[in-house]
Amino acid sequence: MITIGKLAGLTSVSNDTLRYYEAEGLVSPAGKSPAGYRLYDRDSARRIHFIKHAQQCGFTLAEIRDLLDVRGRDKACCGDVRTRAIEKKLQIESKIRAMKAMSKALDQLISECANEKRPVKECTIIAALERANGSKRMQ
Amino acid sequence: MKVEMFYSPGCAACEDRQSELRAAAQEAVRDLEWRNVNVLDNMDTAVELGVITLPAIVIDGEVVFTSLPTKAQLCKALTERSGARN
Repeated sequence: MITIGKLAGLTSVSNDTLRYYEAEGLVSPAGKSPAGYRLYDRDSARRIHFIKHAQQCGFTLAEIRDLLDVRGRDKACCGDVRTRAIEKKLQIESKIRAMKAMSKALDQLISECANEKRPVKECTIIAALERANGSKRMQ
Repeated sequence: MKVEMFYSPGCAACEDRQSELRAAAQEAVRDLEWRNVNVLDNMDTAVELGVITLPAIVIDGEVVFTSLPTKAQLCKALTERSGARN
């Protein structure tokens, strides 16, 4: 059994993060020391590494809790996990598309504002943003 | 009317239910075009249509079901759209 500090060191996350994971139901101590300190088993370190890798793939903590649940379910199969991974990819691709559209809109605003010396009252970017706001309100 | 069912390969529930949903849909509406779409081969189309959960059913370009519907739910959605179109 290891202390929270030791687990934090092994997994490169802070003690606060470990407590937060506990509050979110992602990891829990296997027991407590006579003095009342949290004690973790070796599986906790594997769980933390799992959480970190899943976060790097874009999964939220709620989704990771679900994945951990599937991981521990006897009747679950790889297809259950694969579908979740495909859905995450769909969400990420959708966000990429939205961000590309934002980037394109910014490109247009930037290209329309050729004269940087112009006073801000004549700024074409401000004017275009106000127009966009006005046309939305009209709808 | 065009129905597209987006699924992930290996989805046992999709394979089991696909044929009964398709038969019910074709019985409910005339001139129905049904397409099973493997999302991995059609990621761009899925993203463009707004599919983010699987399986999903898209009717005439609109995501209508984000999980498998019952036969009754699917038929109701189809007949409502068919009625609105006529």
